[in-house]
Amino acid sequence: MSEPIKIRATIKGSEGEVRVLMPHPMESGLRRDPSGQVLPAQYITSVILSLNGRPVVEGALGTAVSSNPLFAFQLLGVKAGDKVSVAWLDSKGQKGNAETSFSAA
Amino acid sequence: MQRRDFLQAFGSATVLAPLVVTGLLSPGPALAVSFNRAAFDARTAADALRLIGAAGAEASRDILLKAPEVAENGAAVPIEVVSSIPGTTRLSVLIDKNPLPLALQFNFAPEAAARFQAKLRMAESSRLRVVATAGGKHYTVFREVKVTVGGCGD
Repeated sequence: MSEPIKIRATIKGSEGEVRVLMPHPMESGLRRDPSGQVLPAQYITSVILSLNGRPVVEGALGTAVSSNPLFAFQLLGVKAGDKVSVAWLDSKGQKGNAETSFSAA
Repeated sequence: MQRRDFLQAFGSATVLAPLVVTGLLSPGPALAVSFNRAAFDARTAADALRLIGAAGAEASRDILLKAPEVAENGAAVPIEVVSSIPGTTRLSVLIDKNPLPLALQFNFAPEAAARFQAKLRMAESSRLRVVATAGGKHYTVFREVKVTVGGCGD
């Protein structure tokens, strides 16, 4: 979680592809440490992708999303310079966010 | 018990509130439909489907679910979902044999194509199910995925 989010926004034709990698352990609460103690659950529950400040994809996640979640989305009618941002919230109230701009491929 | 506490603390209506309050995000009318967080706590796919209101989803050929036939590593199974059903506003993914089958749900505004790629954990070989919601109706497609090494308890 201390590592920064990686977000890349590329224009392909009239569509924009956004790829996001959010460093997070996505601890499911089902794993045990070597001494047998259950590792407490802590995972991202909400993700919001916004285009120029307006939410366009809103996600609810469970424990079945892999650690360091990687998502790709496609936005329509975007142009170079449009801003895209991502924000997440986890089950312990921690959050993260990042922003980038669309650039031509 | 921890999970129960978490669910009470993050009910569907409040789950996004902290992000909104901090000014990181402004709520948009396009995405006003909230999620039923209780569905993520369901232990069977049937219960999860019922809780997301999709128990009677009809089979559709207009949803593409791309997933490996055999996944060597259950900790990160890549999937791609594309709905060609006009007006798709939500895609949900379930993994029948996971301890908690509902994996994720995405809501899409008109500016977003109803498609995404993700990596999921699979505890064992299982049916993978996608539900697309469009115009208040639910459509579904599924695939069987064989998992060589489970990815939930390791």
